[in-house]
Amino acid sequence: MFSYLLRRLLYAVPILLGVLLLTFVLFFATQTPDSLAARVLGPNARAEAKKEWIARRGYDKPLLLNTQSGATLFDSQFCNFIGRLSRFDLGLSDKTGESLNSKFAEGAIPSLCITLPAFLVGLCLSIGFALYQVFVRNSALDRLGTFLCVALMSVPSMVYIIFGQSFLTLALNWFPVSGFSRDGLSGAKFLVMPVLLMIVMRLGSEVRLYRAIFIEEIAQDYIRTARAKGVSNPRLLLTHVLKNGLIALITLLVAQLPMLILGSLLIESFFGIPGLGGMLFNAFQQGDLAVVQAMVFLSSLLYIIGLTLTDILYAAVDPRIRLY
Amino acid sequence: MSRNSLSIFFLLLALALAGCGNNPHPPLQRQSRDDGSPWQVRYVWYPSEPKSLDPQNGWDSASRVIMEPVYDTLLEYAPWKTEPFEVMPGMLTAMPEKETLADGRVVVTCHLKKGITFHDDPCFPGGKGREVTARDVYYAWQRMSDPKVECPIVSTLGEYVEGLWENFQTAKKNGDALDYAVPLPGVEVVDDYTFRVHLKKAFPQLVYWMAIQFTSPVAREAVEYYDPKKYPDHDNFSFHPVGHGPYAWVKDSYVRGQRIRLVRHPRYLTSTFPTEGWPAERDAVCRQLAGQALPLTDELQILYIKELLPVWLLTKQGYMDRYGVQKEAFNAVVTNTYGLSPVLASRGMKLEKDTEVGTFYALLNMKHPVLGSNKKLRQALSCAYDPARYSEVFYDGVRPISQQLIPPGLAGYRKDFKNPYGYDIERGRRLLAEAGYPGGRGPNGKQLTLTLDFDAARSSERLQAEFIKDCFEALGIKIQIIEDDFARLLQKQETGNYEIAAGSGWQADYPDPENFLMLFYSKNFPPSGKNETFFHNAEFDALYEKMASMDDGPERLALITRMADILADECPIVLNVQKAYYTLIQPWAPRTHANLQMEGGFKYLPLDPVMRAKCIAEWNHPRLWPLWVLGGLVVLAVAYAVWRGRRGDV
Repeated sequence: MFSYLLRRLLYAVPILLGVLLLTFVLFFATQTPDSLAARVLGPNARAEAKKEWIARRGYDKPLLLNTQSGATLFDSQFCNFIGRLSRFDLGLSDKTGESLNSKFAEGAIPSLCITLPAFLVGLCLSIGFALYQVFVRNSALDRLGTFLCVALMSVPSMVYIIFGQSFLTLALNWFPVSGFSRDGLSGAKFLVMPVLLMIVMRLGSEVRLYRAIFIEEIAQDYIRTARAKGVSNPRLLLTHVLKNGLIALITLLVAQLPMLILGSLLIESFFGIPGLGGMLFNAFQQGDLAVVQAMVFLSSLLYIIGLTLTDILYAAVDPRIRLY
Repeated sequence: MSRNSLSIFFLLLALALAGCGNNPHPPLQRQSRDDGSPWQVRYVWYPSEPKSLDPQNGWDSASRVIMEPVYDTLLEYAPWKTEPFEVMPGMLTAMPEKETLADGRVVVTCHLKKGITFHDDPCFPGGKGREVTARDVYYAWQRMSDPKVECPIVSTLGEYVEGLWENFQTAKKNGDALDYAVPLPGVEVVDDYTFRVHLKKAFPQLVYWMAIQFTSPVAREAVEYYDPKKYPDHDNFSFHPVGHGPYAWVKDSYVRGQRIRLVRHPRYLTSTFPTEGWPAERDAVCRQLAGQALPLTDELQILYIKELLPVWLLTKQGYMDRYGVQKEAFNAVVTNTYGLSPVLASRGMKLEKDTEVGTFYALLNMKHPVLGSNKKLRQALSCAYDPARYSEVFYDGVRPISQQLIPPGLAGYRKDFKNPYGYDIERGRRLLAEAGYPGGRGPNGKQLTLTLDFDAARSSERLQAEFIKDCFEALGIKIQIIEDDFARLLQKQETGNYEIAAGSGWQADYPDPENFLMLFYSKNFPPSGKNETFFHNAEFDALYEKMASMDDGPERLALITRMADILADECPIVLNVQKAYYTLIQPWAPRTHANLQMEGGFKYLPLDPVMRAKCIAEWNHPRLWPLWVLGGLVVLAVAYAVWRGRRGDV
């Protein structure tokens, strides 16, 4: 196990470097430092101000390696960036000059405020609906459920958001249209609608998937044995099918856990939630390279952590699997 | 789950929803004023957040919206003088006195009002804001020459204010370190309330710069106190402004991505509501406010919402006090005849149209061998373009057509002037033939093809480029569209690497026609200037040089008119439209002015919180019937499962 983890850790380094290099090259293939400065300072910025801005952010240095005479070879934009990241210093935002470490720490909590409840409640609901469908399988209600799931999967996210904001907030006056508050429980009203929409957006696909897993389980021999022993249907589903089905589910879900911190691009943007998803959305719009690079780094890192956790958990819950 | 527990669950859910409410605003920090009347909070929306609230640095409109109420200016825009715009004394007792010396240098003497105080803040002894003096003006102007402050207008003002540019250059040579002990000869402190500005040459535009926060006094104590390098636990001065305006910054009130709270400066004495000068249509509102202390409301909350739909919904619910009507809500707000929708009118709302001080156009590159040398070709392109249809197709006909470069509100704007090369496709074809390209083909029969660059960030811009292409191609020429991103387009415009560039325009920094005409002065070629058409005309240049340093008057107006005529004839740009939009006004927040050179002019805006509370209660009854429908469906589903289970049909 230890050697496996060490190997995964070592693999992670070139993967991260590769991802960062790719992002860096892609960004500078389409942008010049001058255009970045123009984007940040605005179309009417004078040349002097742009030059100043570029020098302050270090965008006047060579991109990958510094081959200028008298300069240190690694005194380049990319190497300086990697050097900072190795110290877990994400740098400063191009747009506002704020520390990205503190911005990310601030943004992670609002993101988690919506993604974590949506994940947990959504999971419970999806499992509940899937078990219900299994319980009433092959009936008209099951077919109706499948139809509804496919319908839910077919609707674009934007439609859910517009419907949620226009109908549930405006027509029914249940929740605030937009906003966020860190004031404990009084802030919960801002989360209900985005969490509800995130659940509904994923419900269709998840219920379909879990239903398929549970249907596979219910066809197993041990279920037939349990049935023969007189185990009731609800108990059969909630104890035997659910427990064994969860093995497959856990491995699917654990990979998603670290990504929850990154929030949701659209939901955060539309509901004015100051999370990391919204931050990335703005960074794309404003051409804030520093934020995009840092977010790519963070996403890659979390993705690698998620996959490693999945492998470990897979081995933990399924005795047939060993990690070498 | 038993039937009882199900009922309790749904009851609790209903109660929770009823308690939820749709009010997005946090509870008020204060419910009433000292005199017992209700605390008045104005809620304003803005799509983007400020970049810097340092008055010598912040230049974007999002920052200026905050800085205007926090930092007063030496001069300020007269709220009702918009045709043309006028400035009036703000922190000064009177307009600056100007004296021209024999060698052409100019001395401008200014007197500060007595009794203006900084906002209370821990940076001052005892936390009480001290009086603003001329030394604070001197310090603020010194800061402009500090490279670390990154003042965007240092090169502009440095051309005129003695020593400003020189001090900046010296500091740059010293590793960006400005020695504040080195005097700035351009600003002389005469006494606590008097200072003189020493100019190298005449600079009539100075009065407009004095109406922008760059020249506002700043307390040295505040800048030094809010320096995280010295005091790591302190805020940064860029996001902790300590001003002297009608509203004061509230510590920790800026929640990023959410809102900023500003609260009335209790000792604000700089100005009161004017006692005259408003237009007749605002008489009913303004007359009862005449002479009242400013600001008229106690608190200002600026909400940051990036998406447009939520802003419209919040306005409809009554949680936003004003709404600039966007495309998302246009049909719900504005009728076919450009009136207010009857539903909203019945709620007491009002609709006003605002036109910004700016002009949109397409650039024609004068460096291009074909376009630059062929005036008739440029005139033909101008004749081929149909801005009325453009406005109709893309902006529901709201945006007015630009007939001239100089927009309304500026000296030199001619109300009855018609673009001599306005839309007339037949004339365009004739001009094209005279230009040597009959039917779009050159003397050798070769098809004339021109490129059209545009910012392809949004699909709507692609459609607009297609529209322009169609207009020009109606002449018989071919247009090849080139998609750029915003930064790339700017770069192309700066280097002259384009033929036609769509979507350009200019928004007035200050309401002087010089601010528009400088775009065609040949010494303003990029990168140091903004003459992105690379227009060069000897007569225009000579007139510009003369006009730029002249005071307003008939002689200057004559020069401006002549310059505008040269541009209208030479067609270095194809005029398009002006930016205009409708503003929806809530019944409890009437408008007292519509001066778009101000960034809101919030101190002049009144509010009736009692009427607002009443309207909100009336417009926002929660409806719970979908819960009962949902509950019914759950009960049916459970009942079906139970029935099926009992039948053993599993």
